[in-house]
Amino acid sequence: MSIQEHYRSRAKELLSSGTVKMVIGYGTGSTPDRRRPVFITSPDETDRLVLDKACRTNLSGYLLREGLLSDQKQVAVFFNLDGVRSLNILAAESQLETAQVLVLGFRIEGEEVTALQGERAADFKSLIAAAKEQRKSQPPHELQEKLEAMTPKERFSFWEAEFSRCIKCYACRQACPMCWCRRCVVDNNQPQWVNTSSHTLGNLEWNLLRAFHLAGRCVECGNCSRACPADIPLHLLNRRMSDEVQGSFDHYPGMDEAQEPVLASFRKDDPETFIL
Amino acid sequence: MATLLYSASLNDCIARWREDGLMVFGPSTAGGVSGFREVEDAGSLDLDLVLTRSTLKELFFPRTEPMLGYRIGKQQIETEEFIPPEGRRIIFGVRPCDAAGMQVDDALFDWDYHDAYWFRRRDSSVIFSIACTHSDAFCMCTSLGLAPDSTKGSDVLLRPLAAGNGWKVEALTERGENALSSISSLLKEGGDAPAPLTDVPVKFDLEACRRWLADPENFESRFWKEISERCIGCGSCTYLCPTCHCFDIQDEGDTYQGVRRKNWDSCSFSLFTMHTSGHNPRATQSARWRQRIMHKFNYFSLKFNVNSCTGCGRCTRECPVDMGVTETLQAISTLQR
Repeated sequence: MSIQEHYRSRAKELLSSGTVKMVIGYGTGSTPDRRRPVFITSPDETDRLVLDKACRTNLSGYLLREGLLSDQKQVAVFFNLDGVRSLNILAAESQLETAQVLVLGFRIEGEEVTALQGERAADFKSLIAAAKEQRKSQPPHELQEKLEAMTPKERFSFWEAEFSRCIKCYACRQACPMCWCRRCVVDNNQPQWVNTSSHTLGNLEWNLLRAFHLAGRCVECGNCSRACPADIPLHLLNRRMSDEVQGSFDHYPGMDEAQEPVLASFRKDDPETFIL
Repeated sequence: MATLLYSASLNDCIARWREDGLMVFGPSTAGGVSGFREVEDAGSLDLDLVLTRSTLKELFFPRTEPMLGYRIGKQQIETEEFIPPEGRRIIFGVRPCDAAGMQVDDALFDWDYHDAYWFRRRDSSVIFSIACTHSDAFCMCTSLGLAPDSTKGSDVLLRPLAAGNGWKVEALTERGENALSSISSLLKEGGDAPAPLTDVPVKFDLEACRRWLADPENFESRFWKEISERCIGCGSCTYLCPTCHCFDIQDEGDTYQGVRRKNWDSCSFSLFTMHTSGHNPRATQSARWRQRIMHKFNYFSLKFNVNSCTGCGRCTRECPVDMGVTETLQAISTLQR
């Protein structure tokens, strides 16, 4: 049985038995190469579910839809490992209870899509631990290497040029599983902390602020870069922050729901080299 | 016999216009993203694109622009009004759907208030559109009563030649004629065959959709929630739309000096309709999506007798969750039996 068939029948089972009230997964899109999020509530509709290598979007943000989890019922969601990590962070940040979320886990490697064993966030702990070790030895992105080799001035010019295309549509924020603030700081206008204009300063302020806000929280799912209509390589900023956090504090976000947020916790042996 | 412009002469045309003091803009790609930018030669133009990622409207209605500045000194208060530059522009290689979007916004910006920012740029620009010989799965101009060779909003229409070596040229306005007269020595007369236009299938019945939208019974329909369930509430569909024109006025600065700016705004955002009291009349994303569709195909068409959608398909093409006008109107067509 293909992984898609396997999960279609599992979804049917879960909905028929009333174990979950909804399955959030992927369905066909408007062109053959596109997939789109689908919300299945009836066992008769599980044939709409698709699972293949085009299923890239991290769906965890949908769990925070107003009222979805307020009735204590369970929801099943298709997640790759990044998705499970974002689920753990959302739980650690008191946004949901993992007990209400059933994971339909999968992994995409090249052309191959395989099922992950387990259905609760905690079941994936050893896989996440392995991913943490693997990340340490992961070669840097080609562009990232080029950026590291630049002088600070050259690097600033690079990002200035990239951000100049930002149209402030906030697709990066809306697509980000970690951007769960009910009211984003840029939407506060008394006072207006961040310029809403998409001029050089406003774009720098917005994109850098978001990168810092995600330090130690980003699971590198890539939702932001995929959503960006201006093709700004936002994931590179987040990746750089993740490298820093992992290097300095051995922190890999989303290990489990008990993990403390790195920027909101303190250990006596934390390095202080960055304090001037 | 018809007037022809051969591709080989395009570079000289651009040079001629620039010598005459005009700025030349056209589709070009920077940082992997296509849009309308100023060009110095024909080599910088990307004329084979089905459509640019960003739209023509950016040249008339920028993402952000200053309106006025103030400076409060000990003795006096200085103010400065920013008027858009008057420089004459040729915009070459526009697609007919983007050009048609100009007319939509002309109606809006000349409604209860004559928007000087928009019209100053409109009056100093000449739009050279190129009829489409290619389209993609998202194009839907024909569903909106337009076509790959629509002339709305254009000053000159170019029809590609079958040999792929130029265009048949047709002036549509006086501005267009003037722009052509300055390059008349570079134009030729000939009977070259035009290339066949692309075939864009009709995807929905617009009139049936409009009837459904106009029926007050359907305002609270469950349909709106179902069709927009996956919407994440970003503004990419509105900002990449050739006709979406909403803006916000923002003051940047402090007590002593600052600038008042006109910035793009989007009905997709919760903040767009948020009241000071905290009440939001469009509290949900589905109410916001309904507004966008109603505005385009019901309210705007009733008021100005034109649809504020020209079928470019960018909303679907660029949507992070694969939504868009096409799917919604196709679904409404089906509801209409």
